[in-house]
Amino acid sequence: MTPVAGGYALNLALGFSLFSIISVFWFHYNKDARLYFTAQRLVLGSCLLVGFATFVLAAELINSNFDIDYVAHYTSLETPAVYKLTALWAGQEGSLLFWLFILSIYAGTVVIQNQRRNVNLMPWVLVVLSVVMGFFLVLTNFVANPFAPTDADFQVMNGNGLNPLLQNATMAIHPPTLYLGYIGFTVPFAFAIAALISGDTGSLWIRSVRRWTLVTWMFLSIGIILGGWWAYQELGWGGYWAWDPVENASFMPWLTGTAFIHSILIQEKRDMLKTWNMVLIILTFSLVIFGTFLTRSGVMSSVHSFTASSLGPLFLGFVFFLLASSFALLAWRYSSLKSDSKIQSISSRESGFVFNNVLFVVLCFAVFWGTMFPVLTEAVQGTKITVGPPFFNQIVTPIALGLLLLTGVGPMLVWRKTSRSSFFRNFPVPVFIGLVTAIILIIMGYSGSIVMTVSLSGFVATAIFLEFGRGMNIRRKKLGESYASALMKMISRNRSRYGGYIAHIGIVVMFLGFAGKVFDQEAEWGLRKGEEGHLAGYRFSLVQLSEAERPNHYAWIAEINVENSEGQKVTTLYPEKRVYFHNNPNPDRRQPHSELDIHSTLRRDIYSVFSAVDTESGTAFMKIMINPLVRLVWIGGMILVFGTLIALWPVKQED
Amino acid sequence: MEQRNKIFLAVSGIVFVALFWIFRISTEADAQDALMISFLSLENIEDAGDRRVRLGGIVDPGSIVIQKENLLDCNFTLAQGSFKVPVHYTQVRPDLFKDEAEVIVTGQYVNGVFEADELQTKCASRYEGDLRNESSYQLDDLDI
Repeated sequence: MTPVAGGYALNLALGFSLFSIISVFWFHYNKDARLYFTAQRLVLGSCLLVGFATFVLAAELINSNFDIDYVAHYTSLETPAVYKLTALWAGQEGSLLFWLFILSIYAGTVVIQNQRRNVNLMPWVLVVLSVVMGFFLVLTNFVANPFAPTDADFQVMNGNGLNPLLQNATMAIHPPTLYLGYIGFTVPFAFAIAALISGDTGSLWIRSVRRWTLVTWMFLSIGIILGGWWAYQELGWGGYWAWDPVENASFMPWLTGTAFIHSILIQEKRDMLKTWNMVLIILTFSLVIFGTFLTRSGVMSSVHSFTASSLGPLFLGFVFFLLASSFALLAWRYSSLKSDSKIQSISSRESGFVFNNVLFVVLCFAVFWGTMFPVLTEAVQGTKITVGPPFFNQIVTPIALGLLLLTGVGPMLVWRKTSRSSFFRNFPVPVFIGLVTAIILIIMGYSGSIVMTVSLSGFVATAIFLEFGRGMNIRRKKLGESYASALMKMISRNRSRYGGYIAHIGIVVMFLGFAGKVFDQEAEWGLRKGEEGHLAGYRFSLVQLSEAERPNHYAWIAEINVENSEGQKVTTLYPEKRVYFHNNPNPDRRQPHSELDIHSTLRRDIYSVFSAVDTESGTAFMKIMINPLVRLVWIGGMILVFGTLIALWPVKQED
Repeated sequence: MEQRNKIFLAVSGIVFVALFWIFRISTEADAQDALMISFLSLENIEDAGDRRVRLGGIVDPGSIVIQKENLLDCNFTLAQGSFKVPVHYTQVRPDLFKDEAEVIVTGQYVNGVFEADELQTKCASRYEGDLRNESSYQLDDLDI
């Protein structure tokens, strides 16, 4: 298949998007329903054309058509087929097309789901979706065309190949899930803007997007966690989060998105916070585009960013356009967003949600401030001042602990007002558990954020388990069910609520994992065969240093015996130092790579990096880290996703 | 006091305290552990005194010198256009570190040498190169 077909498909898709916008405006003025249906079909057509273009590029990647510049830069003849496919999102142009592809799946699904539903909102939803698609189509047609021919004055016999760091199963999944999360926020944003334009600012748009938002939020959560997991497994610095601008770019919309999925509950239940919900979804989507700007503009010195390109000003311009037009619409409809309901008590569940929202937004601002600080200080003082992890840790830790506290307090508060009796019924046990945990930890010699994190985790976990216990007891008393049956039916009958609680348990487990970071230890040694190093009560001895030549790399393999302080064997680690593309005549093209080996248990990870080898003396230079409780971060992430899936699972009609 | 006003006051209080804390950490002298200067010229590095500095640039081709007796001990020159600074680094180097790699180093400028304690290379998605043909295999040329 010719790549020209892919280019034409993108040209046509842009035309379809523009005509769909014109059709909706025309429909708005003459009310001819045929125009609305035409707009629907144009959007669907645009989605299909983007899908076709993506298929063409994927086929060219698989077939190693090095006449296409993108294919030559990101694959080679030796690249395994699966990674030829994942090269689709390895570079700037391909990832923009991939972004469009996911947006087209979402847009197509929205159109098909709502062909005859939400007729007030849908025409304007189509306009917003087409504007966003149109923006990305302009980029892929005119600025970063993935089908551009190879610019070389020689025959390209083989491509560059995909970076070995990206030849990893996690890296094959992490970008698509992150994109599914990022791009999915287009749909609730489109419904919000449609509600503002149409004047239908009730709770209809919220009900239409609640499930969408939760799916999107879940994918963004998975994407962020997988990114951390990949960094931990592959990069060899022993951590999973570095407060890099690009990591922050994905974290900021997650924070406002999390605030949004909480605050829409208030609008659904009490018809309140209507303006605030609009603000949150506008901010969330703008942060998604702003994050893309950070990644692709070269404005930030990030280890993740793509090459500085002309895309930056376009993305920034689009962010300003989104913010200006959205807030202008919000100001126009402000009076219709006012609610008759008011918060009746500071001790109500509504106010708990308000505080939760405030903390999420303040946290987002702190991350934004820290991320943009170099740009701001350069503008004001002429010197770029960067804030590092210590800044974020000092700011984020107290706010995050406040949020953790609210995770426990929230479920114990009652809608409208928490009475004195329910306060004394719900709070004493969790508070007692939290206090006892804190006292035990202080006696054990711990202090500071560790005590706060663990005792608050105890408080929150107790509060949530008591909620489960109360619900089960009521069912057991009323219906005589067994514990297991009561638990299953209780969750099944109220999936949104109990799924949310399970997700909160996941957050608690993750916090415990984060707390373990304080106790990380590390050491670096150069070891010859038979030599040993000591760290955290473990003895590490180099048993053997071997070599192996494999199809696409050459490897030195260290065999390290690990024993505990009693001399008992704990494990044997086999970290490797590899050189990829070792056949390449150009030494600059050979790519060293440290393949880690991690012995992971619930209590701690023993993390080994083979950083360099002296072949003459047979010395292996090793970095060993002891990272307590890291596994809890991944387990907590899985619980979080499991809880969200329960909340999302559709309820049968007869239920 | 009306409940609504109580909530408004509490929310304002939280926002005010949080903003104050954010600005304090990012401007106060005693919070300098949290701050680093990203400089653009040598003059800026010397101005930084004993503060930690973050510096980005390209590894000058041919400048990487690794000590034979300790392979973790590495000297190289970081270049930003015509401006160059010698860097000394003694920890594990990232895999993408090599001639002409785009790197970010963090550390202190001491007696004309940048003593880095952090070295980051651009992430995997930045991986690019020329498109020359490959033909032979010479393991002796391997330089890691």
